[in-house]
Amino acid sequence: MTDLKLPSAMAELRPALVGIVAEGRGQAPYFSVLLSSKHGLQITVDNREERVTERAPSAGTVLSAFDGLTVYERAVSGFGWNEVQQGAHELVRDISFANYTTQNEPQRSGDFATLIQIDPAELSTQEKLDRCRELQSRVKGRDPRIVNAQVRYIESSEHAVFASRQADLAQRVQRVNLFVVVIVAGEDGQVQYDYLSKSGGAGWEVLHFTDEEIQSVVDGAIALLGAERIEPGEYQIIAAPGVSGTICHESFGHGVETDMFLKQRARAAHFIDRTVGSSLVNIFDDPSQPGGYGSYFFDDEGLMASPTQIVEGGIFRRGITDLYSATALNIPRSANGRRQDYSRKAYARMSNTYFGAGTFTLDEMLAQVDHGVYLDKWSSGMEDPQGWGIQVTCHYGHEIKAGRITDRVFAPIGISGYVPDVLQSISAVSTELLLDAGTCGKGHKESVPVASGGSHLLLKARLG
Amino acid sequence: MLKEIIDALNERSVLAGWTVRHLLTHGAQVYAVPNQIESQRAVDVERYKIDVLRQTSGPDGAPRMGSGDATLLPGGDVRAAIENAALVAGLVSNPVYTLPEPASLPDVPLIDAALQKDASTATKEMMERIRAAASRNHSVQLTAAECFGEIHTTHLLNSRGIDAEQETTQLNVELVLHSQRGEHEVETFREMSRRQVADLLLEDEIEQSARYTLDLFEAGSPPSWQGSVVLRNEVLAVFVAGDSLGGGVLQTLGSAASKYAKISPWEIGKSVFQSDVKGDPLTIWANRRIPFGTGSNRFDEQGIPAQRVQLIRENELVAFAASQRYADYLNLPATGAFGGVELPPGRVSASTLLAEPYVEIIQFSWFNPDPITGDFATEIRLGYLVENGIRKPFRGGQLVGNYLDALADVRWSAETGFFGNYLGPHTSRFNSLKIAGQDE
Repeated sequence: MTDLKLPSAMAELRPALVGIVAEGRGQAPYFSVLLSSKHGLQITVDNREERVTERAPSAGTVLSAFDGLTVYERAVSGFGWNEVQQGAHELVRDISFANYTTQNEPQRSGDFATLIQIDPAELSTQEKLDRCRELQSRVKGRDPRIVNAQVRYIESSEHAVFASRQADLAQRVQRVNLFVVVIVAGEDGQVQYDYLSKSGGAGWEVLHFTDEEIQSVVDGAIALLGAERIEPGEYQIIAAPGVSGTICHESFGHGVETDMFLKQRARAAHFIDRTVGSSLVNIFDDPSQPGGYGSYFFDDEGLMASPTQIVEGGIFRRGITDLYSATALNIPRSANGRRQDYSRKAYARMSNTYFGAGTFTLDEMLAQVDHGVYLDKWSSGMEDPQGWGIQVTCHYGHEIKAGRITDRVFAPIGISGYVPDVLQSISAVSTELLLDAGTCGKGHKESVPVASGGSHLLLKARLG
Repeated sequence: MLKEIIDALNERSVLAGWTVRHLLTHGAQVYAVPNQIESQRAVDVERYKIDVLRQTSGPDGAPRMGSGDATLLPGGDVRAAIENAALVAGLVSNPVYTLPEPASLPDVPLIDAALQKDASTATKEMMERIRAAASRNHSVQLTAAECFGEIHTTHLLNSRGIDAEQETTQLNVELVLHSQRGEHEVETFREMSRRQVADLLLEDEIEQSARYTLDLFEAGSPPSWQGSVVLRNEVLAVFVAGDSLGGGVLQTLGSAASKYAKISPWEIGKSVFQSDVKGDPLTIWANRRIPFGTGSNRFDEQGIPAQRVQLIRENELVAFAASQRYADYLNLPATGAFGGVELPPGRVSASTLLAEPYVEIIQFSWFNPDPITGDFATEIRLGYLVENGIRKPFRGGQLVGNYLDALADVRWSAETGFFGNYLGPHTSRFNSLKIAGQDE
């Protein structure tokens, strides 16, 4: 039996869900209950202070009724039987539901938990704080230009129970993230910083920094004191896996969320089984990836996680769905119906999204570049599914000259362009597969944890 | 339950102080897809947020301060939550700081009466107004809209005697207008946050967005440009004050927390600019008293009364926005949370700032300058090159520059506007900004 460590109130309510679903089904064609609890911890240690705080917790119940046209929902704070029972009753009481035959779904049940070697729940806060202090002490004195060195640890634990006519599911999803941020000051008062993080759908076992990695952050921050703005124009670039992942995320991640198809917001809707990139381009979304920061066992609409190949050999195959858009568009569902928390609706959202690996080594790719830019580190991105514009901002990049990465640093660097042009220009993909953790918004809200990544990509794009 | 929490906190003699907030949210959400209401939601959230302070000691035995927190749902285990928060506070070692003491609270208009009375009806009415306004222009279609209406109630008490209550309303609207000519599709996306419906000029916004949507059919490649760039209204508000994803450069560099962490190089009494100021002198208030401002309140998370804090006067830093903790650390006045951004009116009319040629940017993909360095490189969704009496639309390209360098060479209009988290000139002309276009 998997030990989910369900919050006690959630565990107590779970057996009653069969009855609540049955009552809801008496009125609504489709009825489901999601119990969702999210909590976490954040520890920050820097040169001047320490903080140990809760991550803003949420705990509540989503009651959903659906008639094929409209999703009616009631979000109730907590897991009190009376409140949930009353909420269910009130939700279906005054609605005249349309006739609708629900799609056949397989029966599914089970309890699932993230595989963890060093469980954050088994470590005391003191132990976690001490680990952060120890790491911070390894960073802070490495260079006199360091004015502050910050270590930030974030753990989040999500528990969910989903019940419908076909489903009785429970999961615990554990995520951890550890950042090292180095802040340096130049003689002219200029302040710069660099950062590195380790993360995963895992425990403390993935949060180890080598001395070389720590020094690379220090070196990166110091190099930024001498960074230049890049001359705008089109460049041959090599994107590091994190940058590749952000390109992937903003182009054929957001661009293939099928609620955007329904809203006529995604140009990709007209490109199914059409070429959208070079034949080297393969893009996946996989919530079932072991250890992935964006992984889960079932989505917030009770569908079991499995991989989706979005682009195959440069050809767009399918999007990722939530229940509503899949129903409205009459397309197969994927397990991508996700909510920020119980107080928000489910949308089609990414999980772990990445470019599939290729066959080149980084050295082979560098050898193809006479003059270009190696994009080391992404900082943000924004989608444009209808216009197929792309905005990815990189914290910095290095000049490539005659097949070698030089010490010349540019910062920040914006990548822009037309998505198919950018993807069509990809001429080499490396063998490794690395994913970065991140937080993804739908437009400017609805944050969910995701991972994005892939391999090194050799391509052409406009930089500014 | 609040009394139970306070009684339990007062029993804990180990605590040096505490703050409790009882937080209630009641809201309604309506979502529309083409010709259909996709989803209707009613949302209730209730929780108790507890923050505790505990005196600890450093390696040298000197007094230090630790903090811990806990969040309780109704019916939660009060004693266990406080025990855990106190335990955590005992682990942490920081310089000593205090909690704010009681002070009179200002009356700041924060409530839309209709929304307060019936969130569901007010939110549905907003959605109907959006759908009706969009339907008046047959060249565009409303393909998505979201309306959120919320009532937030806060009751805050602390161990120094603060006992304060406030109620606020909040409206968030997103909408997408779409148009198609043959295979050519275009859209504009708009989002707005306000505290009262009257400040959401939905019909005007939709009419204007419809025009922009149709102009996208004519949009050409972005020009390469070094020169005057005009920002107006909502896009100017985002540029100056940040967006819903977070504050921007002003909030970061103007905060005492950043100063204490040595992230902010700003010094009180010195210019915030490293370069010469060629445009209008910069004066900024961090203002939590803007009527119906989305950053406004009567008191902040610590209970510090809303203030209108002059942050920058004629380019010179006058104050940092300081919570009680960082005010104590840096020996500054405690101003509380930052709130909205207010700028004084400029000296010239908006029409004066529109002398040709110039580029006007209507929408960015996402204007998100680095909050520490101020550097930005942001994609343009829609802009106009205005010269020889012609407004030529373009899309794409990047606005490239530095936030503070831009503010050092800008002129502001005498006419002002209110845009949720920004109150100030509604038109600005940045004299020397660079657009990385496609002809370079």
